Amino acid sequence: MRISYKWLSEYVDLPPAEELACRLTAVGFEIEAIERVGGGLAGVVTARILSSEPHANAEKLSVTRVDAGGAEPLQVVCGAKNYRVGDVVPLATVGAKLPGGLEIKKAKLRGVDSFGMLCSARELGLSADASGLLILDGGLAPGRPIADALGLEDVLLEVNVTPNRPDALSHLGIAREVSALLGAPLKPPRAALREASGSASAAVRVRVEAPAKCGRYAARVVEGVKIGPSPEWLARRLESCGVRSISNVVDATNFVLLELGHPLHAFDLDKVAGAEIVVRTARPGERMTTLDGKERALDPDDLVIADRDRASALAGVMGGGDSEISAATTRVLVESAWFAPATVRRTSKRHGLHTEASHRFERGADQGMVLAALDRCAALVAELAGGTVREGVVDVFPRPLERARVRLSFDRPAALLGMPVSRADAERVLRGLGFEEQDAGADAATFVVPSWRVDVSGEEDLVEEIVRTQGYDAIPETVPALAGVTPSRPRQTEALDRAREALEAAGFSEAVNFSFVAARDAAAVSAEPAIALQNPISAELAVMRTSLLPSLLRNAGHNLRQRVEDLRLYEAARTYAPHPACAAPERGPDGAPAREAWRLGGVLTGRRSPLGWSTGSEPADFYDLKAALEGVFEALGLGAVELRGGGAPWLHPRSAATAVLPAGPDGAALELGSLGELHPSVAAAFELPRGVFAFELDLTALVERARVVPAYRPVPRFPAVLRDLAVVVAEPVPAAAVLARVRAEPLVEDVALFDVYRGAPLPAGRKNLALAIRYRLPERTLTDAEADAAHARILERLAADPAVRAELRSS
Amino acid sequence: MPDPTGQLQALAEAARSSIAAAADERALEDLRVRYLGKKGELSQVLRGMGQLPPEERPRVGEVVNRVRDEVEALLTRRRDGLAREKLDAELRGPVIDVTLPGRRLMPRGHRHPVTRAMDDIAAIFSRLGYEVASGPEIELDWFNFEALNIPADHPARDMQDTFYVDGATLGPAAQPGVLLRTHTSPVQVRSMQRAGQPPLRVVCPGRVYRSDYDQTHSPMFHQVEGLCVDRGITFADLKGTLAAYARAFFGPGTRTRFRPSYFPFTEPSAEVDVSCAICGGTGRKDGKRCGTCKETGWLEVLGAGMVHPKVLANGGFDPKQVTGFAFGFGVERMAMLRSGIDDLRLFFENDLRFLEQF
Repeated sequence: MRISYKWLSEYVDLPPAEELACRLTAVGFEIEAIERVGGGLAGVVTARILSSEPHANAEKLSVTRVDAGGAEPLQVVCGAKNYRVGDVVPLATVGAKLPGGLEIKKAKLRGVDSFGMLCSARELGLSADASGLLILDGGLAPGRPIADALGLEDVLLEVNVTPNRPDALSHLGIAREVSALLGAPLKPPRAALREASGSASAAVRVRVEAPAKCGRYAARVVEGVKIGPSPEWLARRLESCGVRSISNVVDATNFVLLELGHPLHAFDLDKVAGAEIVVRTARPGERMTTLDGKERALDPDDLVIADRDRASALAGVMGGGDSEISAATTRVLVESAWFAPATVRRTSKRHGLHTEASHRFERGADQGMVLAALDRCAALVAELAGGTVREGVVDVFPRPLERARVRLSFDRPAALLGMPVSRADAERVLRGLGFEEQDAGADAATFVVPSWRVDVSGEEDLVEEIVRTQGYDAIPETVPALAGVTPSRPRQTEALDRAREALEAAGFSEAVNFSFVAARDAAAVSAEPAIALQNPISAELAVMRTSLLPSLLRNAGHNLRQRVEDLRLYEAARTYAPHPACAAPERGPDGAPAREAWRLGGVLTGRRSPLGWSTGSEPADFYDLKAALEGVFEALGLGAVELRGGGAPWLHPRSAATAVLPAGPDGAALELGSLGELHPSVAAAFELPRGVFAFELDLTALVERARVVPAYRPVPRFPAVLRDLAVVVAEPVPAAAVLARVRAEPLVEDVALFDVYRGAPLPAGRKNLALAIRYRLPERTLTDAEADAAHARILERLAADPAVRAELRSS
Repeated sequence: MPDPTGQLQALAEAARSSIAAAADERALEDLRVRYLGKKGELSQVLRGMGQLPPEERPRVGEVVNRVRDEVEALLTRRRDGLAREKLDAELRGPVIDVTLPGRRLMPRGHRHPVTRAMDDIAAIFSRLGYEVASGPEIELDWFNFEALNIPADHPARDMQDTFYVDGATLGPAAQPGVLLRTHTSPVQVRSMQRAGQPPLRVVCPGRVYRSDYDQTHSPMFHQVEGLCVDRGITFADLKGTLAAYARAFFGPGTRTRFRPSYFPFTEPSAEVDVSCAICGGTGRKDGKRCGTCKETGWLEVLGAGMVHPKVLANGGFDPKQVTGFAFGFGVERMAMLRSGIDDLRLFFENDLRFLEQF
C-alpha cells in the first residue's frame, strides 16, 4: 500500500520520512520503498501574464511579458493560445531543467529574445495534458517555486501491510500506529456534515436478506449533485496513491477508502429500481455486468446488492454498470457496509476480481467505522459536487460484532519472551493501541480489543503487541538446554551420504531437478500412471515424475548442447505415484496422500576418462557405469549385489541389467533397479545420441539394507597359494556362472577375472576367461598338493557342469 | 718354504690398487673372489702355512689375518663408495616434468550447491540437538494450511500460490484437498503428532512448491523448517538459536536482527535479517554500493516465531503446558548469499559448468 507522507501528516505529527520508515519497519510495517516526488522542477515558478502580442515574424507564436516576481517583467515567446492576460501560469526560467530533460536557455525565436518557457502540465510531468499552458489559481503570487505553490513535493512510502492488519490499510490506520508508537496525539478527520430536510429513509429502503454475510448496511442520500472532475488537490492525492481520478463523487468514495480504510460505494439512486436496496445472495442463473464491463454468471453463494429487480453490485467487490455514477447522475446513494470476510473472499476468488474493497473486506473491515466513513463521504460528496445530504442514515445492523475480550496474565509476556516485562509497560502499550483494560486483578487483567483490531483474539496476540512496540532487540539470546534430546545422525542419512560420495568419487555430479515433468516425458520411460497438477505452470511441468530419468535425460541433452560432452550426472530424490487401490493412506502423522519413493538415478555418456596425456580416450560403456554402481554398493556394505541380464523397458535389450540384492540374514532377495544403455527409441525421444547409459535404483531399499558399520572378518595369518586358470566357454555363458563355480570350492579365498579373449585360435562363439585364484586355509598353511587338488576339482566341475561346459585352454 | 710375509705384502699392495680401480659392483665381486674366495690368493697362502716351522706360524697367521681384514674393509668401503656414486649419479639425473597434469582416471563429481547447503544446515542444527524429520511433498490441505491456523477463505493463503493435485489422477484411494506443500511447515504438526510428548527438536529440509515462475521465483525450491517444543521455551531461545546458526553458516562475525512480522502459525512472529554476507554489513563493497543488500547492510533470510497455541494443539500438545519456537527459510537464498550466486534458475538447469564450481 502506498502512503503519502504529506497526507499522513494531517492526522499525526511525523518525524522525518526516513526515521518514520525505520520506526514503522521496526513495528512490523515494513517500508519497502521510499519515493520522493515533485522534485526536479527547480527554476520553474509562477508567473502572471502581463501582456501578449502577436510575433512579428511567426504566425503561431506570441510575445508575452510576464511578472515572475523579479524587479522587471520578462519577455517570453510562447506558442500556446489558451491563456488570457492576467492568468497565472508556470514559467521555466533560464537554467531550469524540466523532467523530460529539456534545459531552458536564453533563446532568440525568429529574432525575438525569450527568457524562459511557459509550460503545459505535460512539460512539467504533472499529467498527460499538453493542450495548452497549465492555468494556475489566479490568486497565486508570482515568483513562487511551482512545487511549493502546487504542493507537489511529497514522500511516498510503500508499506507492506501483512494480511492480519486490515486496520492499517489506510492513512488513518497508519497514523494510529504512529500515534501509539511515538505518543503523539491522533487528529482524526471530522466530517463537516450538514443535513438538509427530508429524511434518507423516505428516499430509499434497505433490506438485508443475508445477515450472516452482511452484518451491517448503512446508506445516505445526497441530492442535487453535479458530476464533474475532481479538484486538482483531490485528483493529485488519489493519483499519488495509485488510484485513478474518475469523477468528484467516485473520487470521494476512494478518498475515504484511502483515508479511513473503509470501502464505500456510490449508486445512482435514480437507477435503483423501486428505490429499494436488497442485500441478498444471487439467484440461480442470475447474471450481472460489473463496472469493468464484464458480464458475470453469479453463483448462489455470491452476495449481491440488488434493487427491486436485479443485482446491481457484487457486495464488497465491485459495483455494477447499471447503477454506475454517470455524468447525468443527480441523486447519489452512498453505501457503507460490513460484509463477512469469507464471503467477500470467495466471491472475489470465484470471479477473479481483486479490488481495493475486496482486499479490505476479506481481511476484515472495522464495523465501528461504518458510520464515520459514511458521514465523511456524504459530506465530501456534498462539498465537491454541490448537493445536499438528506437527514439521517438508513442503517440496517443485524449482526453487531462483539468486541473481543482477552485476559492477560502479567507473567505471560516474560514466560513467552524470556525477558522481564513490567505490568506498567504492558498496560501502557496496550492502552496506547486502543485496548481498554477491565477487571484488573493482582496478576491479570482483561483487555477489550478495539473494533478495528480483528487480528487480536488470544493472550499471545497481546504479547505480540507488547513486544512489537518494544522491539525484539531487548530480548536476550539464550539457547535451550539439551536435556532429553539425543543428537544422533540417523543411519539412513549416513547411508545416503555414502551413496552420494561413492557416485561423486566415480565422477558423477549431483543434479537437482523440478519434481514435475511433461506428461510425454514421463510416458516415454514408464507406463506407470502419473499424478497430474490441476494448475501447472506449463505443459512442460504438468505431472509429478514417476522416474528421475526424464529430468536427467533432459539435463544430458542440455549439457550436450552446451558442448559438455563427458557427462556424469546423478540425482537422489523422490518419485510420486498414486496409492494402489487396496491401500487407502492412513490419516495420521505418517500417512500421505500419495506414494513418494526415494530413488537414485543417473546418466553417463562421453569418454571413460577425461582427455589426458596418459589416459586413452575410449568411450565409456556399460562396465564404467557398473563400476560406479559397484562403488555405491560397496560403500553401503552391499558388495553382495549381483547383476542379472535384462532390465527396465527404457534400456537397450542387449545392454540391460537388473541389480539384485540376494537373500541374506537381513531379508529376502530384493530387486534394486536397472542399469544399462539407453534404449534407442528412448534416446530419440529425448533427442539424445546413442551411447548414453543410465540407471535408476530404489534408494529407500538401498539405504534400509545398508550396512553402515562393517562386520569384522579375521585377518588371514597363513600364506595363500596362487594359481591361474584359463578356460574356454561358449559365448552365452555368463562370467558370473564360471566365477560362482570357482567360489564354490571351499579352499578358494578369492578369484579375479583378469582377461576375456575372443578370436583366433578360438573358434567363433567361444571365449577364453583367464582367472587368478587365491587358495587359503584360515587355520594352517595350505600345501601345494592341496592347492593343486582344489584347482583340479574346479576344472573338473567347470567341464562337467552343463551350464558351463568349460575346457582348459589347450595352447 | 720361504717366508710368505713378502708375498702377503705384495698381495695386499695389489688388492689396494685393484679395489680402488674397480669400476662397478661386479668387478668388486671378482676381486673378492680372487683375494678372499675359497680358491683365492689368501687361501693359497694359508694352505702353505703347514710347511712353515711351527714357531713361525703365529706370526705369519697374524699377517694373514691383518691382510684379510684390510682387504675386506677395502672391499666394503669401495662397495659403499660405488653405491653412493651410483645414487649420486641417479640423483643428478634428468628431472620429471612435475607440471604435467596428475593422472586421474576420473575426476571427482560435485555435490549440488543446494544439497551442500542443506547438509551444512542439518549438520549445524544436529550439533544443537536437532533431529532430521521429513514429511510428504504431496500433502493434505489440513497439514499444509488448516492445522497451521490458515483456514480456508483466509487471505493468508494468498501469501503462497498453491499447486493443487488433480484428484482424478490420485487413484482409487484419493482424498479431497490434496496439494503440493507450499512450505515445510506441515512437518511441524506431523512431527509433534509423531513425538507425542516434549521435548521435541527437529529440522526438516525439503522441497516446496509455489505456483510462481520468473527471474526471482522458482515453482520448486527448498526450505528448512525448524521446530523446538518443550516446557519453558522462550523467544530468547529462538534468538539465541538462530544467532548461533547464522554465525555457523555465514561466519563468526555475522549479526542477526529480528523485526516483527506476521505468519499465521506463529505468535509473536518475526522476520530475521542477518548482516550482509557480501559486504560484511557495511553496505559498501570495494568502495561501491553493495548490490546484494542494497546498501542496507542487512539481508532478510528467515521467518520465525513462537508456535501459535492452535498449532501446538493441532500437534497434540497442551499450549498451557509447553511452548515452542519455529523457523523456516529458503535454502537457495542461503546458498546464493553464501556463494554470491546471482540467478536462481541456475540451480535447476543442472549445467555441469555451474555444478562443477561447487
